Amino acid sequence: MKTILSLSFISITLMVNPGVAPGNAAGELVKFDQPILITSAGQSAEVQLASVLSKRAGLDVTLNKTATPSDLKQAKTLVLVLGASLKGLGVAGIDAAEEKARVKHLVEAAKNLNIDILCLHLGGEARRGQLTDQIIEEFLPYGKMAIIVKTGNKDGLFTSICAKHGIPLIEVDKTVDALAPFKNAFI
Amino acid sequence: MKDTKNRPLEPNPLILTGLIVYFAFVLACRTGRLESHPPLNRHQPYNYVGQKGMVVAAHPLAAEAGLTTLKKGGNAVDAAVATAFALNAAEPFASGIGGGGFMVIYLAKKKILTAIDFRERAPAEAHPKMFIQNGKTNETWRLTHGLAVAVPGALAGWALALRKYGTKSLSEVIQSGIRIAEEGFTVSKTFSKINKDEYEKLIHMAGESCCYLNQGFPYEPGDTFRNPELAGTFRLLASGGIEEFYQGLLAEKIVEAVKEHGGIITLEDLASYEPQENTPLKGVYKDFTIYSPGLPASGGLHIIQLLNILENWPVKEWKHNSPEYIHHLSEAFRFIFADRAHYLGDPDSVTVPVNSLISKDYGQQIRSRINPKHALKTYPYGEFDERDNAQESTTHLCVLDNEGNIVSLTQTINHFFGSGIIPEKTGFLLNNEMDDFSRAPASPNAPDSKKRPLSSQGPLIVFRGDRPYLALGSPGGTRIFTSLFQIIINSIEYGMNLDEAIEAPRFFSYSVLGKAGDIALEARIPESVVDSLKRLGHTVEVREAYDKYFGGAQGIMILWDKHLIHGGADSRRDGHGAGY
Repeated sequence: MKTILSLSFISITLMVNPGVAPGNAAGELVKFDQPILITSAGQSAEVQLASVLSKRAGLDVTLNKTATPSDLKQAKTLVLVLGASLKGLGVAGIDAAEEKARVKHLVEAAKNLNIDILCLHLGGEARRGQLTDQIIEEFLPYGKMAIIVKTGNKDGLFTSICAKHGIPLIEVDKTVDALAPFKNAFI
Repeated sequence: MKDTKNRPLEPNPLILTGLIVYFAFVLACRTGRLESHPPLNRHQPYNYVGQKGMVVAAHPLAAEAGLTTLKKGGNAVDAAVATAFALNAAEPFASGIGGGGFMVIYLAKKKILTAIDFRERAPAEAHPKMFIQNGKTNETWRLTHGLAVAVPGALAGWALALRKYGTKSLSEVIQSGIRIAEEGFTVSKTFSKINKDEYEKLIHMAGESCCYLNQGFPYEPGDTFRNPELAGTFRLLASGGIEEFYQGLLAEKIVEAVKEHGGIITLEDLASYEPQENTPLKGVYKDFTIYSPGLPASGGLHIIQLLNILENWPVKEWKHNSPEYIHHLSEAFRFIFADRAHYLGDPDSVTVPVNSLISKDYGQQIRSRINPKHALKTYPYGEFDERDNAQESTTHLCVLDNEGNIVSLTQTINHFFGSGIIPEKTGFLLNNEMDDFSRAPASPNAPDSKKRPLSSQGPLIVFRGDRPYLALGSPGGTRIFTSLFQIIINSIEYGMNLDEAIEAPRFFSYSVLGKAGDIALEARIPESVVDSLKRLGHTVEVREAYDKYFGGAQGIMILWDKHLIHGGADSRRDGHGAGY
């Protein structure tokens, strides 16, 4: 009984402590290098949130909402902010198919250049829908780690994709809570 | 000792009575015969019930503010203005003193119908090419810039309505707004999502420390939002009147904020602003009469056009949201958009053939052009011999009081969170209504000095025979009039109750330069219908199941035969009703 309680306590502690740098499936700490290129996958407004988080974390970051492979030159990490917005797509002057194609080229280029990808989903439950889910399913597997607002994972979509691909997943209650694990993820 | 074993079961009278009362209550709630709480699933159609009065608005606190005013002896106009102030506090991203709108009022005893236009106006220095830079339109100037701000009209319009038709003072009706701004409220999913959608605008225009962000981040559902600066502004208005806004301290702060962001509003623009009172536009559909403000509000005009087109179609045979229904209506929408682009603007600046546009003959002409078997290739505007002059984002509220007076009011700051500009320490957002002007300098709706931009708003009151039947309105940009039109048909032709009519799936289409746009429709419309529409030659965009793109309607329906009032509030936003 004591053993079970101790193991449960340790498990719970590890789960709720966002400050702990998560390990991958092999148990190694996941760390990312700088400078960072932040881009959107879906053109939702949360890409701006990621930029604010980065500034508050004191990171070396460039924001380019419609980044292409040529923008990866100086980057050591690509931060992909997952979330679709028809309004955002309209402002960017592209449609969903064009956006998916852009992101595909970008993540493939990052992979070829050995640039690690950190995925963020900061919009919570409100930023889930058919197009966002397609983007999550297509691009989350490229991530080396994911940080998400947990209300966006009520159906376990992030959990199942991350488990399948061995991607450490950090869930936070609110966007502001993402600051600590985001900062800690970088060298 | 009594033999309890062999005695037949006798029901306990208390338990039996309790069960009867319980089931009667449940039955009454389901049939809407008693006021009760809306279901947890807000998408489930639910009619708020009252017998003496009703307020519907896009936030429960605002609806309650209106109801409190009615219960304290205020009339529908008092309650409408109280609700409008409360909406500024509770739904600050969609309307407020930094914006404008329209209302239509029915006074039962005198049988008067009137409309008040408190639409924002372009500054005196505005001109048709003001947004052109290096030969192209500068989109930022139209949306998130001082040039995007038009002279607000909301306070002036509310004050006019109160002065002429209300019974309470401004300082009385503003109190609910002060309390909501000061005490705050729990942020809903709707508020949070819109806050997130407009995060970039708020960061760039208002800054990380602005009251519409929570320590620099969007508000999450469950957070508490307070706006003490807005409460302070409302207190200033309560003591000093609207003159503080149009000539006093607030006017100075507005001009300063607009100038700092590159705009051109002057103190004189604010001091010279006046709302207008007009006779509402009128249209007839079978035994129903529709009243709505005239231009520059276009919603009512387009709804009347659409009803004229639809009048002799076999809509009941087609069935609700069938491919035939959506095809025919979408084609009709495309024709009226052609008229809109060619003719509509501020009637003080351009001559608009309103009577011709809303004539039954013209409706018949459009009807005869529509092909039942396929989408057309072009949609020309109507041509008339003579030009007579008869003279979105956004939120809507309706009020009915116990004397039968009705107010239907739509107001806005245009896009959510408007221009993002907040005059220093005032807590309210300035509109970006200048974006409602056309980009084409030669358009009848081009910007110009003191001109009012064309609006899609269409608050309306519908009569059946000589008795009021329905008050209705919605936000939603150019989807306002197509959505209100569908709600009216859902009720009149398909027999839906009010909230069923509001919650039913919607669709939209338009034309630009004579060419068809997509049909956008809510995902609840079956895939088989989408496939049929594609075979008819349409391109279709499927949106969310309950998409605020199609508006957030609120309505009040009077059921004369049942001596009941129903309030309907749209689950696409935070719509709520309060009746008594």
